[in-house]
Amino acid sequence: MTDRQQRIQALYEIALSIGPKESLEATADAALSGYLKKLNCSVGAIFQRLPHGADTDYPIVASIPASPGTNETLAAAREEFPAAGTTHREFVDRLPIAGETADGSHYYILELPEFGVLALGKRGGEIDRLTRSALAPLNEKLAEACRSQLIETQLRTERNRFEAVFDAIPEPVANTVVEDGVERVTRVNRPFEETFGHSEGAARGRPIGELVAPPADHPRADGDGNSGAGPTEIRRETADGVGEFLFRRVPVDADDGEYIHLYVDITAQKRRQQQFERYERLVENLPIGVYRTTPGPEGEFRLVNQGLVDILEGSSKTDLEKLSVTDIYVDPTERKQFSDQLLEQGSVEGVELQLQTVDGNPIWCEVSGIAVEEVGETVFELALQDITERKERQQQLAVLNRVLRHNLRNGLNVIRGNAALLADGVDGELQSHVTAIEDRIDSLEQLSQKAGTVRSLFDQGREVNSRCDLAELLSEVADDFAERHPEATLSVDEVDPVHVRADVRLKLAVLELLDNAVVHNDKPVPTVSISVSDSESKPGDGWVDVSITDNGPGIPEDERRAIETGEETPLQHGTGLGLWLVYWTVSLLGGDISIADVPSGTQIVLTLPRALETTRVQPPNADS
Amino acid sequence: MEVTYCSDPGKGLEPALRSTASSASVEGVLLLSTPDPAVRSPDFESVLAAVETPVFGGIFPELVYEGERRKQGALIVGLPSEPVVTTVPSLGDDAAAFGEALDASLPAAGYETAFVFVDAHASGIESFVDSLFRTYSVELNFLGGGAGTLEADDEPCLFTDEGVVGDAAVVAAIPESMGIGVKHGWQEVAGPFRVTEAEGSTLHTLDGESALSVYSDVVDDATGTTVNRENFFETAKSYPFGQTRMDGEQIVRDPFSVDAEGAIDCFGELPEGEFLTVLEGDPDSLVAATRTAAADAQAGVDSPAGIVCFDCISRVLYLESAFDRELAALTADELPAVGALTIGEIANDGTGHLDYYNKTAVVGAIESP
Repeated sequence: MTDRQQRIQALYEIALSIGPKESLEATADAALSGYLKKLNCSVGAIFQRLPHGADTDYPIVASIPASPGTNETLAAAREEFPAAGTTHREFVDRLPIAGETADGSHYYILELPEFGVLALGKRGGEIDRLTRSALAPLNEKLAEACRSQLIETQLRTERNRFEAVFDAIPEPVANTVVEDGVERVTRVNRPFEETFGHSEGAARGRPIGELVAPPADHPRADGDGNSGAGPTEIRRETADGVGEFLFRRVPVDADDGEYIHLYVDITAQKRRQQQFERYERLVENLPIGVYRTTPGPEGEFRLVNQGLVDILEGSSKTDLEKLSVTDIYVDPTERKQFSDQLLEQGSVEGVELQLQTVDGNPIWCEVSGIAVEEVGETVFELALQDITERKERQQQLAVLNRVLRHNLRNGLNVIRGNAALLADGVDGELQSHVTAIEDRIDSLEQLSQKAGTVRSLFDQGREVNSRCDLAELLSEVADDFAERHPEATLSVDEVDPVHVRADVRLKLAVLELLDNAVVHNDKPVPTVSISVSDSESKPGDGWVDVSITDNGPGIPEDERRAIETGEETPLQHGTGLGLWLVYWTVSLLGGDISIADVPSGTQIVLTLPRALETTRVQPPNADS
Repeated sequence: MEVTYCSDPGKGLEPALRSTASSASVEGVLLLSTPDPAVRSPDFESVLAAVETPVFGGIFPELVYEGERRKQGALIVGLPSEPVVTTVPSLGDDAAAFGEALDASLPAAGYETAFVFVDAHASGIESFVDSLFRTYSVELNFLGGGAGTLEADDEPCLFTDEGVVGDAAVVAAIPESMGIGVKHGWQEVAGPFRVTEAEGSTLHTLDGESALSVYSDVVDDATGTTVNRENFFETAKSYPFGQTRMDGEQIVRDPFSVDAEGAIDCFGELPEGEFLTVLEGDPDSLVAATRTAAADAQAGVDSPAGIVCFDCISRVLYLESAFDRELAALTADELPAVGALTIGEIANDGTGHLDYYNKTAVVGAIESP
């Protein structure tokens, strides 16, 4: 074989070793090995050219030996490299460089265009000039392979970054490619798998439209979301049902038809929004005013609902918000007092204020609210109820009560005095008329007293912070009954220890029922029994039934129906206040009353709430 | 260098080893042995372990001592410096990173020469040799070859600091310099042929045709003999393949068998795309090459103290009676000469690439202390 043939063959075989490998280092290393083997060289290295400020660095990408630090031939070659501050161009222009070391080794520095340089060393021989020249195209091929590997490495790095982001995105994401007009999935992330119920293995290669489909009852109503425009809201079937998504289709490489589908799950957000809208509608349509103001003597409206506009007879929410809060106070000083109270206490409940409408008409309102911190400032969140009618009714009741208790009693006293005088002056049949007058006076006085009792019932309101021992209460009731009705019989069943949420008003109600059972009884010996048991009409662990059964004729139908319906009419009413007193008492204590006919007579059941253990005990006769 | 030949290892090897190792001038022992039962016995591990100095070497088909082939016995070579012995295991493991087992700092620590022996029947020999070159380049001179037997019996064949091992390599670095000569004397007779299909060391096609067909045509032209599966080994020993490299002898690849499809198995890898030539030799050229190798080796040192040679066993098969001339060429100049007939050779001469050879004579001349 001639030298020329040998050279061509060696160069060809070197070319076989040049090509992209898994990394830049592997690419350079394989090629360097080929150069050294086929050229029978002893050492070699590939250097990458890297600009570094004003200088140019030549870091080693591959070398043989692997640790070239002590190799004299390579060290001599490196001496040729541009020193710091020297002109890099000058070095490049000198390439290829051939040199010889003191021990007779030869070294060669060859340009790798647009990548770096190749250094080869040979002991005991040289690489001839023809061969060195013939290496130029191989060096270009090696440079190109290294450059490609660099680019590939960068692309791989970018790809790895992309994949890391892809996997880290907490929202469902799919990578698609359009092939033959069909957009198919190439990758999905774990949130996609979980949301739409398709594993990546099952999703890969399938049309995206099959995997992420509109619900059957909602086909394509929101479009296919593939317009490529901005984000669109779509509804899609999910593994758990149907979800709402903010969808965006982003082209990765539009030329290659690659896209990223991003589905931001807004199902919960949409539900919250719908809930908020419902709540907003609810607040808007409430017959009470709901609003926000700033604190202070004046105060600004920040937000008002239609209810407040209606109560204050404003024209619109906008107009109302232009007013100062103090404008709706009849007495502006009350505004300051209210503001101070709310700032101090943090919350208020049921504060009655005399306000005025936009046109200056006075109204009574009950205001509750809290002071909250928002974006660095304090605001009041308030609810206002128009209680003008209630206040007027209270006034009417107060007047009527006064009339009933004082004026009527005074009048009765005058009548009783005159009836007494009259009784002294008449006899016989006329005396019976005087007696009838006196009986009627007694009856009216009792009615007056009961009216007072009713008022006191309501004065205490619905707030009950005490508990009552039923056994103790019924024992006292039995004693009272024996004293008041010696002609009648009362039996009280044995009562297990049980406490109900009640105060002294309960005793009043029970005594009233016992009085009724005796007074309206037509039997020679009125008989009444009381028993206590777990409630039958409500959960027994929370409620107790106190049953009072008599042997009387029963309660008149009209009176009974009035109690059961809680309403009297001109044709449906009772004869007094007794049953109403019981009804109101039980009602105020949070209980129920029911009336039933039993074989022996009538049974009235008071269903009362059991008391919590922590509630304080109040003796049945605490205020008696 | 102190050399002891033990003709009956079963009787005399252990005391001879102890004796050499205990010599004041000996800091390490190179042990070359034929496949004697004594060195293949499990008990030999304990014999090696009892030696005071590091021992390394291998089992070879035959030995060379005092200008003669020795089909039995063992050679104990006492070295004046303590060698750094490295065992590289799992030579057949494709994923093994051999370079990690090698101490790259040896040249900087003053070591100049390394004996290298590999299990000749392990795969991955060339990968290991490549790792050696990548690690040391020409900073170390290498000399050695493939150990084992021609019967390919898979028995452990390397003496290392870890005992008698197989599927491995042993590298023993010494500070002494050594002149090295590498020659084979085979001449190109045909080619080049492009390797169009190959797998490792199995050659399927050359220039797109059956490897056997191409090879057979060449041999027919040269000898008038038709090569077939039956006479392949006998014929092929005279017509190895050659791999070209610039500025040096071709690297010989020794074909030894052919399968029914005409694929030829060789010692050493045959990369696809590269070119092969067919080589032929004659006793004169081979002996002359050996003489040159020996001269090159001696020229590499100022004052040679002895010769260590590793000559391919297949050269014996080819040269037959003419091998005596080769031995004479190896052991000229009255220098003590020891060596082994190996299955593949490893050497560089300190100038070029380190390779794994076939059918080649590698000679080392040790510098006088």
